[in-house]
Parts: sequence; structure tokens; C-alpha cells
Amino acid sequence: MIIAERKPFAEIKAMLAPYKKILIVGCGTCVAVCLAGGEKEVGLLASQLKLALGVEDKHLEIGEITVERQCDLEFLRPLCDFTADYEAIVSMACGAGVQFLNQLCSLHPVFPAVNTTFIGVNNEVGYYTEACRACHNCYLGITGGICPVTMCPKGLLNGPCGGMVNGRCEVDPEKECAWCRIYHRLELEGRLDNLREILPLHPHDRTTTPGTVIHPAYKRRYGLNE
Amino acid sequence: MSKLRETLEAGAFPVVVELKPPKGAGVDEMLAVVKALAGRVTAFSLPDNEHARMRLAAVAAARLVQEAGGEALVHLTCRDRNRLALESDLLGAASLGLENLLLVSGDYVTLGDHPQAKPVYDADSVQLLQIARGLMDGHDSAGLALTGAPAFFLGAVVIPEAEPLPPQLIKFEKKLAAGAQFFITPAVFDLDKLRRFREHLPETPVKLLVSVKVLGADEVAQAAAGQWRKVYSLPPNLVNDLAGKEPEDILAMGVKAASRLVQQIKQEKLADGVYLKAKGRTDLFTKILEAAGL
Ligand code: SF4
Ligand code: SF4
Repeated sequence: MIIAERKPFAEIKAMLAPYKKILIVGCGTCVAVCLAGGEKEVGLLASQLKLALGVEDKHLEIGEITVERQCDLEFLRPLCDFTADYEAIVSMACGAGVQFLNQLCSLHPVFPAVNTTFIGVNNEVGYYTEACRACHNCYLGITGGICPVTMCPKGLLNGPCGGMVNGRCEVDPEKECAWCRIYHRLELEGRLDNLREILPLHPHDRTTTPGTVIHPAYKRRYGLNE
Repeated sequence: MSKLRETLEAGAFPVVVELKPPKGAGVDEMLAVVKALAGRVTAFSLPDNEHARMRLAAVAAARLVQEAGGEALVHLTCRDRNRLALESDLLGAASLGLENLLLVSGDYVTLGDHPQAKPVYDADSVQLLQIARGLMDGHDSAGLALTGAPAFFLGAVVIPEAEPLPPQLIKFEKKLAAGAQFFITPAVFDLDKLRRFREHLPETPVKLLVSVKVLGADEVAQAAAGQWRKVYSLPPNLVNDLAGKEPEDILAMGVKAASRLVQQIKQEKLADGVYLKAKGRTDLFTKILEAAGL
């Protein structure tokens, strides 16, 4: 899932300074799980804003709503009518959700309330770690299910760098060297031969942004070239 | 042909000394080492933004070394360049008469002095060796033909004390397969570890340069405080002997230890040559060479 962190309050407050009536839109999927932008966090931000502005004798009218997924047109479309009354919108979704909302509500400025950090996993409540850089060419089948692109800070494809010390990573000694993990996993599975072949240069042309994926069924349906 | 290659192939125990390209455009100090030692050593090595700390370009430094009468061994790191830059720098190096290369992945940016820089690593060291080999064969990494193929002598790094060793050995084999013609180790202080590593070397002869280093006071203090985190180990008695001494005394004792190591490596044929790291200082290099009888 996508992991995000709430922006510092002062930054959000400064962005909203010119407005009197705002709508905060939460997202019920990834950012809700990582406690950055779900329904609860929408409420929290609204109270924080009201409190802070109240102290300064300023008034801000705040609407709150949370949709199931801001990155999904199906859930976003009904929101359009709802936004008309507001001067500005704050999205608590990941960057994809913010932009989708922005595209749809073309008459309002839309502000992000979180910093989107990475694609990761939920180890336990409050503890998230990065796991995939969406490299467009998944190596996990070769590397024992451990991602060399993400887990190795250098993204090396052909084994450990010279900085590994006692199986720990040069960049962060708290972490195990990804290539050490890959080696042990493949050893366990009796698949060490996977490591003997030199992996070629990564096809970075595939990662040219912004990426587009069109499912074959969609192409068939709309008569697009496969 | 490169003198380094000739000396290695003749089994004549080359000595490479590591220079420090300046942090700045003033190259006189670096070149003074070359002028003083050109007759005594085989080659001068030029790290490429070593430890991710920005310094004068290694390729430019290497050319200056050759103009000053020395032979250069230039490092090229994957950290700072994508494949286009790596390839054009390799061709640039060849056009400047640079043949000896050490191709490395490179220390990570956050460990250096520009921690917010974007790390590149478009290629890793194995792939960079393949790229260089391809250029020698007359084509770039996209398969396009070159006008005039470069001649290189391709070096790579191997870590004898890597823990665990097997993943490092696989990488070593990949580097060999990718075209590495010689290897350089990090500093070695414990020759037993080097002896043990040699048992893993393949049957086909591989040219190995072992690094011998003079420790600085800062490194000794780090080790004495139990904070040593490097890919080579320091014998505890060496650290005990050096700890708490004056910086210049540490260097003087380090020079003695280094010359003993060089002699032993040569006598026991533990390597085909040595790579000396001594703060880029002529006086230290000279003393090591004299004491080791080189
Ligand atoms: S190799 Fe890593 S970054 Fe690439 S798709 Fe697979 S998990 Fe993601
Ligand atoms: S120590 Fe391992 S994980 Fe860390 S940068 Fe080097 S190869 Fe990658």
C-alpha cells in the first residue's frame, strides 16, 4: 500500500491562511491504514485548525468528508457536487488522490495535507516500511522474494557492494544487507544458481513518468491496439 | 600497454600509490607526489569522489598525473553517473591516454559531504565492467558501433574479509566473468585473513593487488572506542599499540607496520602487487618503500 505522513501542522495552516471555508477530504484506504489521512485524521486536523485559529480570533468554516478511495473515479465523482460551496479543498490522500481530486474539482485550489513517502507494508500499527519502488520489471522471482531495487539503497542487481559489514548495510547498519538476505533465502530454497547469472542493465525507459497501464480486456473492449 | 599490466603480467610486484585529488582546483600538492615518486612506483591511483565526498574529477587528475610523468589508475563510480555518462567518461579517459581503470559501485551519497544529492546507480560494478568490456569490443551498451575502440586494463574490487563471504565470492566470480582483469582489496592488516581468502581464489590465475594502509589518528581513536565498522579488521594489539599516541607518532608506527606487511605479502606471494594508502603523502610513501626495500 501507499504510505504517507501528515504534513507539519504549521505548513498546512500557512497554506490555508487565505481561506474562510474549506473542505477536508480524507481517504479510507492506504492513508487510513497508516494513520495519516483517514476519517480519524480528518477530524483531528479539523479540530487542530479550529483550535489554532480560535486562539487567534479567526474563524474558519470546515467541512469534513472521507471517501473510500480518492484515487478511484468511482468514489470521487459523487464528491464533485459537494465541493461547490467551499473556497479551498484539503486532501489527506496520497499524491495520486490529491491530483485526481484536483483534476475533478477544477474550480478550487486543492492542497495536500500529507507527504506521500513510499509503497510499503504495515508491520504493525504505526510501523511501516518501504518494500517496492515500482520498477516495472519485477526481479522478485529471481531474488528470493526480496527486492534488490528497494531493499538495497543502491538498487544493485548483481550482489552485495563492498560496504557490507557483518551482513549489515553500509548505508544503515541497523538494517541487514539486502544481498545478504537474498543470498540466505536462495540458499535455503536451494536456488543459489539464480545468482550466478549477471542481471543486465535495468530497462529504465519503462519507468518514464507518468506511466500508463491499459489492461488487455480494456483494449479489447474499446478496440485499442494490443 | 600499461606499465601496471606489464608489471603484473611479468610477476614483477607492482606498487600503486593512492593520491588524493584535491577538494578544489589546486593540483600542485597532488602532482608533487607524482614528481617525487614517478621513478619508484608503478602507478598512481585516483579515487573518484571517494567516500561520496566531492573532489576534483578523477579522470582530469589522472591525465595531469600522466602529464607529470606518472602512470595513472583511474577509478570510476556508478554512484554519480548514468550509463551515458559512464560510457562517455570511459571513452574520454581512453582518449586522454588512460588505460588502467578501477570500476566500482561507489559509497552511498548519504555517507559523504553532499548527502542530499541524487544517487544514480544506473549500472552496478558488474554491469559497468560489462559496459567497459563492450566498449573495448567496439560497441556501446546499446549495441551501437564505436569509431575506434578503447584499450583498457579493467580492475575491480574484491573484499577478502567480507562477512558472510559467499555472496561476495559470487560477486567476485561475476566480475571475473564480466571482464575484470585485476582486483584490488581494501586495506588488509591481518594476513591470516588474506591467506584464508586466497584459498577461495579460482584456479585460473587472477591478478590481485592488496591494499596496505597507514591508519590516521582519527581511525585509531574510532577503533579504540570500539566503533570500527569497516570491511577490514584491525588486530587488537595494533590498536592497543597506537591508541592515545600523538598523530605523527601514529603515522610513523603505521609506516613501520605497513612496510612489514608489504614485505611479508611479497615474500609469501600473498598478492601480485600492493596498493598503498598513506594520506597521499610523499614522505610516508617513501618511508614505506624504503623500509620494505622496494
Ligand atoms: S523488483 Fe522490487 S521495485 Fe521492482 S516491482 Fe519488484 S518489488 Fe517492486
Ligand atoms: S550493504 Fe548491501 S544493501 Fe547496503 S548498499 Fe551495499 S549491497 Fe546494498
